[in-house]
Amino acid sequence: MSNCIEITALQKTFGTKTAIADISLQIKEGEIFGLLGPSGAGKTTMIKMLTGELNKTAGDIRVLGSTPDKFHQTSFKSQIGLLSDNSVLYERLTVYDNLKLFAKLYNAPLNRIDEMLEMIDMLDAKKKVVSKLSKGMKQRILLAKALIHRPKLIFLDEPTSALDPGNVAQIHRVLQKLNEAGSTIFINTHNMEEATTLCDRVAFLHEGEIKECDTPENLRYQYSSHMFYVETFDGEIIQLPNESESADKIASLIKTGTVKAIQTDNPTLGDIFIKITGKELV
Amino acid sequence: MNAARVMAIFEKDLKEFTKNTTILFTPFITIILAIIYSRMETGDGLPLIVVYAIVGITYASVTSGVMMILMAEENEKKTLRGLIMSPASYVEILLGKSLVTALMTFITLIISFIIMESTNMIDIQQIIGLLVLFFFFLFLGIAVGLFVKSVGMTTVYLMPIMFIFGFTSMIEFLGFSPDSIVIKITDYMPIPQLVAMGETESWSAIGIVLIWTIVAGLLAFVCFQKVKKDRA
Repeated sequence: MSNCIEITALQKTFGTKTAIADISLQIKEGEIFGLLGPSGAGKTTMIKMLTGELNKTAGDIRVLGSTPDKFHQTSFKSQIGLLSDNSVLYERLTVYDNLKLFAKLYNAPLNRIDEMLEMIDMLDAKKKVVSKLSKGMKQRILLAKALIHRPKLIFLDEPTSALDPGNVAQIHRVLQKLNEAGSTIFINTHNMEEATTLCDRVAFLHEGEIKECDTPENLRYQYSSHMFYVETFDGEIIQLPNESESADKIASLIKTGTVKAIQTDNPTLGDIFIKITGKELV
Repeated sequence: MNAARVMAIFEKDLKEFTKNTTILFTPFITIILAIIYSRMETGDGLPLIVVYAIVGITYASVTSGVMMILMAEENEKKTLRGLIMSPASYVEILLGKSLVTALMTFITLIISFIIMESTNMIDIQQIIGLLVLFFFFLFLGIAVGLFVKSVGMTTVYLMPIMFIFGFTSMIEFLGFSPDSIVIKITDYMPIPQLVAMGETESWSAIGIVLIWTIVAGLLAFVCFQKVKKDRA
């Protein structure tokens, strides 16, 4: 599988402030990649550079085989879908009129509008004026707007931020469906649950640097203490290393009937982030 | 350039225009003034200076005013970003938005001319002059619309444009001597040039208005570069 995004020694500074410091990454075609980090870590700056909205200070970027000097071209923009926290709709227009504008700008057939509305479960809101919609509904329309031209690569900047669980689940279902259809997804989030549910691979961005990059499963295994925690009915917790000798000890404890529960250490991505950076993901 | 994208932006703006009370009633100011001026007519037809006062008000309030509000609103509500990130080029975006302004301007102008019974003064020279003048006010509107950060700020800039460029033909009624420096300067402003052209049929007036238009075009270009630079 070829690389959809290739980043080499990327840097971005704003005056004396370094937003991105020497980042190298490869994202494969068909992958859902999560860039995790707290607010101000440089996640939005990264997406802006990958979509041509910001110029890089140093390093190399290649997105869908194009270098940044080609990012303004129609052929490049037609392959990209973008949903950021700054994405907005025309409030006075209806849902249909908003999607029709972008379908025409991206040269997508107009029957795609109904298709997209059905996908986000909002076909009945087609004729509603956007200003009358809830935040979650607007976010789903923004997603439909970003996907109306069936982009090969989708950039999502905090797509479910401050949404209720119902809307979050709906957006996740759409993203999974798109990914199954072959789209590559680059998602910025500080929602660890979202990253664990959706992403094939995640990278922790902290103070402009990538601290870790791997699959959520590998990271959770790598940062676990590799211990078994055996809780007895007396309230005692016995820690045993994840080694073959522990099997006999656990077996004998079970035979005596004293074992209440056996657990393994399985840190969340949030726990791992705190372990690496000393800071919480907020 | 892709005509479908230009028309998509035009269609969107046209729909927004009908729902935007800030700009919806702008053309009525000119039309009401045209009705008032037409009542002052004594039988010889309205003086060219009055007709061009209506032209100036139309161009300042409708062309520049509406264009700057449309651009400022896109800028303020961050919808301009969505258009910029789409495959539409800057030229397509500006052209699409200018079409709505052009449509409103010329409908307002034609209605005003009919009310003032001034359609007979329109010849090919005047039409060319009015077209060049339209672009001057359009570029001013684009420049200010890109420059300001909010719709509210547009009024700060609209008033000077209205008085400096829209009402210039009426400045002599303020009682300045014909030899005064104010009159000499205003004589070179776009509207007085077109009034003079109507009286003398000299083509040099269009040349001077064209220079004003090029300057306004350059100003719009500089503001455009600024928007692009801000994004980098």
